[in-house]
Amino acid sequence: MDKTQWLLMLHIAAAFCLVGGSTAAAILNALAVRSERPSEAAFLLKLIRYTLPLIFAGVLGTLLFGLWLWHDLGFGFGTGWIWAALVFWALASALGGRGGRDQEHVRQAAEKEAAEGDTMSAELRARLRDPKALAVNYAAGVATLAVLVIMIWKPGS
Amino acid sequence: MIVADYSRPFWPLFLHVLGAMTTVGGILTVVVLSYVAWNRPEAAFLRRATFTALVVTIPFYILLRVFAEVMYSDEKDAFAGKDPTWVGIGYITSDAGFLILLITIGLAYWWKRSEKPVAGRIVAVLSTLLLLMLTVAMLAMSGKWGS
Repeated sequence: MDKTQWLLMLHIAAAFCLVGGSTAAAILNALAVRSERPSEAAFLLKLIRYTLPLIFAGVLGTLLFGLWLWHDLGFGFGTGWIWAALVFWALASALGGRGGRDQEHVRQAAEKEAAEGDTMSAELRARLRDPKALAVNYAAGVATLAVLVIMIWKPGS
Repeated sequence: MIVADYSRPFWPLFLHVLGAMTTVGGILTVVVLSYVAWNRPEAAFLRRATFTALVVTIPFYILLRVFAEVMYSDEKDAFAGKDPTWVGIGYITSDAGFLILLITIGLAYWWKRSEKPVAGRIVAVLSTLLLLMLTVAMLAMSGKWGS
């Protein structure tokens, strides 16, 4: 394997960490939303922290190896699809961070209810299914998909 | 040459890669849930969640496997009867992996119904094995080992 193949392998591995970790976090979040008790919802939301090292490694790795490949493969500074991917990458990272903070607040509320009798209140149920928070998470997912589409399609190249 | 190696029709490659990435996410979820449940055998919600995560992974896996086959059908002539190492690793992983996935789902169902901790532990071990196999296949295919 030459240097470029190594870089491509590491770039794709980082993308797997990012999308795989995000998928795991999304599944755990969906399982928490369907929980019957606050303690279960809190526990499942807490498990999302195990996916964070992978997501962070993916976010940094895709950027680092992506920029390195940009230079290595000799694409010009004005290559539009790379800039578009970077914009969606930044958007996905920002929205993912915002979604994660929202989940943490819901987890804290669920832990509080778990300690106070462990019965799901209508308010906690509504917070678990908050349309705004779901919209942020879906938007992060769509932005991540957009990066994947651009990377595979490479429009204009 | 290298860029050409990675250049393929958009939809099959996109759907194959998307299926592979989400399969890794689904199996990662199962690994996390089953190991956490190892020390909490009384938590029925973890057994249910593990089974659900495994079932959710099936369509992802089908996406991965079907579009791998579509791409191979289109490109096999280029290999002139001698498949490179990365194709072989991909085939072994996807076929054996699907069998492991189905066995793991069966065991997770048994675990959910019987509450036997040993079933959960086998689910944890098998899902870890599957995650490792998928990781090796991903590295082999993205690095184009043996081509």
